[in-house]
Amino acid sequence: MPNATERTGPAPGTPPLVQLKGIAKYFPGVVANQDVDLEVRPGEIHALLGENGAGKSTLMNILTGIYQPDAGEIIIDGYLKTFASPIEAIAAGIGMVHQHFKLVRAFTVAENIHLGWSETPRIISPQALEARTAELSASLNLAVRPDARVDELSTGEQQRVEILRVLARHARVLILDEPTAVLTPSEARELFRALKQFVAGGNAVIFISHKLDEVLEISDRITVLRGGRRVATEKTSTCNEKMLAKLMVGHEIVLDDLRACGTKPVAQSGEPVVRLRDVTVHDDRGHTVLNRISLEVAPGEILGIAGVAGNGQKELSETLTGMRSIAAGQLMLGGQDFSAAGPADFAKFGVGHIPEDRLRSGLAPALSITDNAVIREYDRASISIGPWYRPRAALALARTIAHAASVRVPNFAMPVRNLSGGNQQRFVARREMRIASKLLVAAYPSRGLDVGAINTMMRYFVELRDAGVGIVVISEELEELLNLSDRIAVMFHGEVMGVMDTASADIEQIGLMMGGQGTAAPSRMGAMVH
Amino acid sequence: MALRVQRFPSASPSAAIAARAVAIVLALVTAGLLLAAAGAQPIRLGQQVLRSTFSGFGIEDVGLLVTPLILTGLSVAVALRIGAWNIGAEGQFYAGAFAATGIALFVPGPGVVMLPAMFVAGALGGLIWIMVPTLARAYADVSELITTLLLNFVATLLVYYVSTGPWLDPGGHALATTARLKHDVPEFFGLVHWGFPIAVLLAVTLAVAFSFTHWGYEVRIAGSNAQAAKYAGMPFRRHLIVVMLLSGAIAGIAGMLEVAGTVHRLQGGISNNFGYLGIMVAVLARGSCIGVLAGAALMAVILNSGIVLQTQGVNTSTVLAITGLILFFTAIGDELAHFKITRSQPA
Repeated sequence: MPNATERTGPAPGTPPLVQLKGIAKYFPGVVANQDVDLEVRPGEIHALLGENGAGKSTLMNILTGIYQPDAGEIIIDGYLKTFASPIEAIAAGIGMVHQHFKLVRAFTVAENIHLGWSETPRIISPQALEARTAELSASLNLAVRPDARVDELSTGEQQRVEILRVLARHARVLILDEPTAVLTPSEARELFRALKQFVAGGNAVIFISHKLDEVLEISDRITVLRGGRRVATEKTSTCNEKMLAKLMVGHEIVLDDLRACGTKPVAQSGEPVVRLRDVTVHDDRGHTVLNRISLEVAPGEILGIAGVAGNGQKELSETLTGMRSIAAGQLMLGGQDFSAAGPADFAKFGVGHIPEDRLRSGLAPALSITDNAVIREYDRASISIGPWYRPRAALALARTIAHAASVRVPNFAMPVRNLSGGNQQRFVARREMRIASKLLVAAYPSRGLDVGAINTMMRYFVELRDAGVGIVVISEELEELLNLSDRIAVMFHGEVMGVMDTASADIEQIGLMMGGQGTAAPSRMGAMVH
Repeated sequence: MALRVQRFPSASPSAAIAARAVAIVLALVTAGLLLAAAGAQPIRLGQQVLRSTFSGFGIEDVGLLVTPLILTGLSVAVALRIGAWNIGAEGQFYAGAFAATGIALFVPGPGVVMLPAMFVAGALGGLIWIMVPTLARAYADVSELITTLLLNFVATLLVYYVSTGPWLDPGGHALATTARLKHDVPEFFGLVHWGFPIAVLLAVTLAVAFSFTHWGYEVRIAGSNAQAAKYAGMPFRRHLIVVMLLSGAIAGIAGMLEVAGTVHRLQGGISNNFGYLGIMVAVLARGSCIGVLAGAALMAVILNSGIVLQTQGVNTSTVLAITGLILFFTAIGDELAHFKITRSQPA
């Protein structure tokens, strides 16, 4: 007898919404998928778990028509289908929100929603387009600002636009790739509510994530991929974090508490490596994005910056590395005034920078791995004599960095964009660690990495910290910051809401401050105008 | 085990070169078939072209064509290094020829002094002609594609005007040109003038500068991703300005050498479309300075063949069509070079 309180699910005989059978996909030298079966039923949230490179993205790219499988069948609603292109997959009701959003940044929200959509009227005024968008937004319960340009939006808002775009096209299966990476806990809860509402209407969600706790919270069933193969499909009610982690990596692994480990340098007194005093910064259009920020980092200290993406963290990292000039206030590095210095001066002083968007600003994607390896050291003695650049010495340095980052590189003349995201990140991290003799600024260093890779990254930071380097880590992962940093600063609307010692930090309090509530720093007086 | 065709993210150099060779042959075969369809005898024409190209006379002709093509090709290729499209090599060519002619006509002096002065004037002429597009791009982000292109028409008309008006040959020996310039670029081994070794030397120097200097490295990064250049603290704007001005100066030098080495008079149409053909040369060379030498040689042979074909009663447009076909097939070949047939063994 089935338990009456358990969700009964669809009537017997209802075909699964999506059925993948024996899917295989090969890339040069790599088996991306092999013998993968997946069944997604109406009304369920199906989580897809796996490390980087486990084949999750490939599988979803096959389901959404971006790739064609080398073997296997795709069955939608009981009918065998082949998707020659994403358009056909969308027509069959399968929509995906990618981790890297596919929006036209120069267009408004309304324009993005209606772009490439057969239901968009041929001739329509911007006002009518915005009205239609507002209607969609209301009916699907996803708040967006129809007239805003996409590049003005925070990452969380952009995600809502992406979801709205997919749902507006009558998707019945919504695929979300790492959707909560850019959200606050409360925004994530809101997303979860919307997803539950969506599946209650007989639709389904495929939820890709590395985060075990949220997978356990939101999903009905979980499929785990490892090395391109399916290792398990389980009911969520029978799962726990430990067993899922074990299934994912093949052995037990947990994020360590790194704060206590290592040989921490004893004396942290003396001159801070970096000190911001009432620093105000404008964005490219002259809006204030950092408002009278005061922070300091001691040698051998890790300062975590918490906050929802888009509250000035990116600008803070750019300010700390000299990429963005400051409008008012003072920036001191090791006692010297660097308020007017440029990024090259910061790098020379010993400031490393792992940027938020490594492909866009940390690397030249089309150039070789060697060219990208030496971007920090090309004018130093090891690579050059006078004005001359030595390609051989550059190659040797590239090998050293790749080795330290444990990135296997078949050919150093290959464009760096051919490396996987995780490898790019480790490569950039190792490159920056070489020059970070005083300070390392890391913006979202674990974004898009799996548990194992995140652990490696965190160990890099601990290694540097133990060598007496000051470190600023910007992250949305509160847990990660709590495990790693000595102090945590919370940012909201371009201001520091407060700085606290991690040992005595209250998560509830941090959460409130991330949302703009809670006790403010003493310097902050009431409501500021933004 | 199954055979499958796979696209690789980067093509191997040998595959890329092979694909280009096949592309050029296919373009010529296609052109031959079209000529045959039009009633000509492609094989006989081909023999004719080969014979006259590799006679002493033909090599001299090709040598005269190749010098300006190397330089305009370099001009475009150099700008591409910083991510700019210089469509205005044509105009800068005219401006360089104009400036050099001005010096030659109106400043008296011995050849040893005057030729270097004309050379510098030619370079400056080209540089000034690209100055406005450069500054507009660097400070206002105005697309250099449009501005350099439009200035071509200004330069062309300017040269037509002076050569038929104020600077018209007072001796009246020739119509619609200036007087013969007093100073010639000396001959080089009796085949071509000194412009040819200068052009080759310039190509090699630039290739070395781009590969083996800090400056070259910074330009490479800045041209590939301006954000990354900013991240590393490289002066993107300064590099953009220097490289674009250099690009204009090289096209100006091409104009000076053409007027002082080959034509000896400034006249309308002196550029012979070398500026536009330079774009093709640079694209064929994939932006490589050494590759420009090969691209320019190929283009010169094709242009020379056009002259031969014309004597055989074939329309000159055929040559334009052949260059277009080569570019077309090369583009296809470049893409196909990414594909390989592999054996896959399901694990």
